[in-house]
Amino acid sequence: MSEFTPTIGIEVHVEVKSKSKLFSNSANSYGMATNTSVNVIDLGYPGTLPTINKEIIRQGIRTAHILNCDITRRMHFDRKNYFYPDNPKNYQITQNRTPIGRNGYVEIEVDGTKKKIEIEELHIEEDTCKSAHRGSVSLLDFNRAGVPLIEIVTKPCIKNGKEAMAYLTKLKELLFYANISDCKMEEGSMRCEPNISISKDDSFGTKVEVKNVSSIHSVGLAIDYEIKRQEEMLNNGETIKEETRRFDDKQGKTILMRVKETGNDYRYFIEPDIPYLELTDDFINESLNALPLLPDELRKKYTNLGLSSLQIEKLINNRSLNTYFLGLLDYKTNYVTAVNLLLSDIASYLNKHNRLILETKLSYEKLVKVIESLESKELSNKNVKDLIDSLMETDKSIEELKKEFNIENITDDSFIKEVVTKVIENNTDSVNDYKNGHDRALKYLMGQVMKETKGAVNPKKANDILIEALNK
Amino acid sequence: MDKLTREEVLHVAHLARISLTEEEIEKFRGELKILMDDIDKIKEIKDFDEEMMYTPVDGNARLREDEIGDMLSAKDATINAPKKNGSFIEVPVMINE
Repeated sequence: MSEFTPTIGIEVHVEVKSKSKLFSNSANSYGMATNTSVNVIDLGYPGTLPTINKEIIRQGIRTAHILNCDITRRMHFDRKNYFYPDNPKNYQITQNRTPIGRNGYVEIEVDGTKKKIEIEELHIEEDTCKSAHRGSVSLLDFNRAGVPLIEIVTKPCIKNGKEAMAYLTKLKELLFYANISDCKMEEGSMRCEPNISISKDDSFGTKVEVKNVSSIHSVGLAIDYEIKRQEEMLNNGETIKEETRRFDDKQGKTILMRVKETGNDYRYFIEPDIPYLELTDDFINESLNALPLLPDELRKKYTNLGLSSLQIEKLINNRSLNTYFLGLLDYKTNYVTAVNLLLSDIASYLNKHNRLILETKLSYEKLVKVIESLESKELSNKNVKDLIDSLMETDKSIEELKKEFNIENITDDSFIKEVVTKVIENNTDSVNDYKNGHDRALKYLMGQVMKETKGAVNPKKANDILIEALNK
Repeated sequence: MDKLTREEVLHVAHLARISLTEEEIEKFRGELKILMDDIDKIKEIKDFDEEMMYTPVDGNARLREDEIGDMLSAKDATINAPKKNGSFIEVPVMINE
């Protein structure tokens, strides 16, 4: 056990989903041609004025709510002043003194122990332009300038990489499910910056900030690396400097970017171009009405339906399947079977064809019918596998498909017995092998039965009948 | 007359990313001091609160509906840039923060 106690806080920026930007009505979309999702406000032209996008305030309210924060009722925006080519206004509009949410928490579980990660505050701000560095020049693309961000700041209450990863995973799941952000770290729509210090007593040590971390897993690695590095330094009698480091995935270590020499002097002041914003109860309630069920609520609901925890996690991991499944709950059917189908044959069809379930022709009525047919043994799991393309791509009914694929009533034992008798007669060598103790012969004979019936029989039942016939 | 220190003037110049000659530093030591004194005078107002100065407008900020409006072409968006590189605006290399 180390004599030092680490103290970790994390700042997370997420790009917020909306049609238009935070203070201008140009498009908030990723991947457009360079400098085309831009207007004079984003470029900071003199004489232009910002207007607040209503949807972003709603998204801020939703975020505050799902992170258990107090929602600020009367707020203003602030200017954070700095000179840098990524922001031609020379200031970023943010919320310094009246963040939209304060004092929240996210509950995590690490090694069976629950813990609340406290949220200090969350605020709304605009993103800067994107810069790419090429030798002696930098190239600027303003499509990202003015894109709405929510910054979420924890209190320094995280103790190690594991807790940090659990927090970020939970945060990502919440924001993704609430439709606030798509949280793609690889596209920069979720950026995590942990700050780490270690200390022998209750006072805080010197803070080191880590930037450019590419995944939640890397955040965990970066934190654990940084704790070790700082411990070694202090043990060697060195002093830790307040600095910004980046994490190198390949080397698995943090690398110095720059030392903070003086405190930043951003000269914050209230943004005079935007009046106060006061949120009414009605506006807050309307905003929250649009929130879908969140993962923890879903977990409870699904547990009550009898789904296994593995099924539940798989379903929650696939938001479009989950949305579809929620719609299915209006129908009476066997939900466990439904989830099995959704996560197996249907999911592999969707993966193979790179489609979303809502783009297919699998209506709820049809799925309910498939489940009924499975339960009455009119269809086997193998049948469903064979029919999956037609089920997903056509409007044909199950009856029509059974005819088309020549699927007989497989519950008819006499039909199976007939086929088994025929197979035994035609494969005397294999029958003898089986009787001489070669188990593989049974597999071969079973294969013949399935071939004869074009896979239309219940394999378990056919297997039982075959063994019974062989042992006569 | 009171003056700002040389260091104070240089700090402000650094924040504004401008360089000053020795002559200018001397000049601004006096001029900025006058500005600072004026600001201090405002602060003498009883119950001074920065928010008092914030907006002459009563009432709530108007919220804009979330709809996409007209945007510029890349050509127009970069028309005033001193230097271009394809559709990008080119600037001297920034130390990546």
